[in-house]
Amino acid sequence: MIPSLRTQWNGPLRYFQLRFRKFRTMAHHFLEVVSVTDAGRVRQYNEDSIAIDRNKGVMALADGMGGHRAGEIASNMATEIILSSLRANVAKFGSRASDLSPMRAVDQSINRANKAVYEAAKTQSTYRGMGTTLVVALFHDNRVALGHIGDSRIYRLRGEVLELLTRDDSLLRDQVELGLISAADASASHNRSLVTRALGIDKNAAAHVREEDASPGDLFLLCSDGLNDVVEDTDIELIVRALKTNLPLAAHHLIQAATDNGGYDNVSVILAKVVKPFPATKRSRWLSRLFGWIR
Amino acid sequence: MAKLVLSSGGSVLYQCFLDKDRVGIGRESHNQVVVDDAAVNGEHAAIFQVGNDHVLEDLHSTNGTFVNGGRVLRHILQHGDVIEFGALYLRYLNPRATSEIDLERTMLVAGLYASGDDARHARGSLAAEVRVPSARAARIRFPRGRVSAIAGSRAGKTIELDRVVALFGKSGDQLAVVTRRPHGYFITHVEGLRFPRVNHQSIGRGSRMLNSGDVFEVADEKLEFVLD
Repeated sequence: MIPSLRTQWNGPLRYFQLRFRKFRTMAHHFLEVVSVTDAGRVRQYNEDSIAIDRNKGVMALADGMGGHRAGEIASNMATEIILSSLRANVAKFGSRASDLSPMRAVDQSINRANKAVYEAAKTQSTYRGMGTTLVVALFHDNRVALGHIGDSRIYRLRGEVLELLTRDDSLLRDQVELGLISAADASASHNRSLVTRALGIDKNAAAHVREEDASPGDLFLLCSDGLNDVVEDTDIELIVRALKTNLPLAAHHLIQAATDNGGYDNVSVILAKVVKPFPATKRSRWLSRLFGWIR
Repeated sequence: MAKLVLSSGGSVLYQCFLDKDRVGIGRESHNQVVVDDAAVNGEHAAIFQVGNDHVLEDLHSTNGTFVNGGRVLRHILQHGDVIEFGALYLRYLNPRATSEIDLERTMLVAGLYASGDDARHARGSLAAEVRVPSARAARIRFPRGRVSAIAGSRAGKTIELDRVVALFGKSGDQLAVVTRRPHGYFITHVEGLRFPRVNHQSIGRGSRMLNSGDVFEVADEKLEFVLD
């Protein structure tokens, strides 16, 4: 019995070495970011994608859908376009030449990604019907702009409490919210895989965008439904609360909990901890206020 | 496709596929499933299709609707469920609707809100007021373990390890986590300059499986692990 246990335990370790991406915390940086993505125990492919630029405070996570591995294409396309679009725009915040706000930049980047996935799905027959869920976080000036479409999620751990900041675009959530089934019954439903919105399906993305403040000590969690479909929020909260001083271990524990509870789906997490305040530089802040006021 | 099978005393009386949004069940002949029993109302119950689910609803019947022996008003049908009407049994068969987590791939469907209603939620203000729980745990069994504190602030106490993780030691000094997994409990270093010790041996950065009777030390805590 012991050897088989060893093998089971070596699995995650091996993967830990191969697939773990840790962004070394430099003392001067305001964010500590760790991400992990895993195919799970059942699926052959990983259709989740992650893209991060910690220096610009940008991160995106997507869970693709569509046959013949098109989901992989869609999620990868979406996260890469979001990343490059936001990277290019970060410098514009508060500048004289532009009145772009982080929230509008996030919205724009999502629309750009939507258009690209939509066009690709329309023109290439193997990509037909592909789409993806998406969550985006852009940290700027002690705030974070959040974008969201589909059933991937963003949580924030502040103090001892984990708060869900997004609202799933899913049939199940509609059913529970409208009182058609009770929250208790929802765990017996088979509608978990049915989303009501996704990126790349329509000409217009119709994403949800909002802004929250981000204070030192806050820990943001972006995840695909492979995590929260099988791990209760209370357990997610317990893990991130207990292990917030060791983010790689926290991320590893989240993935492991999903795997231990079945591992039926691809699962991805990004953990981003605000280490210190990150106000925009004085000049641009003043200008951005002015522009914000004029607008 | 989902199917209903009506039987009595082991013999099949009638079967039909659930291929409509609404399937009525009752004594009256206009129902899709006619149950000829005096204890059954004219329109007794109905089965609605919502997404991948079939939801059984009691239509204020006199004698109630029972599934697997329990009375229900509304119930999400699971493969193999038996709906009882006196001496008659109506069995729901749908291999895709097992209580195991389904392996269905993500698909796009229409939401239940009118588009205007949903637009109200689309921007800004809305955090999730409604919690959608995770799926009912599949047949995964977790072991049951506990620790008794020999020394430290919790000396003399027994701590049940009934959650996914439990912390030991002191924050800022030395912390270790004990993780509950299907095949056992594991201890891992979390923070601090010293590593936890199990049976007087440092475990280093990796994880170590705990065996019943193991004694581990983290910061000023000394604990004995016991497995049922």
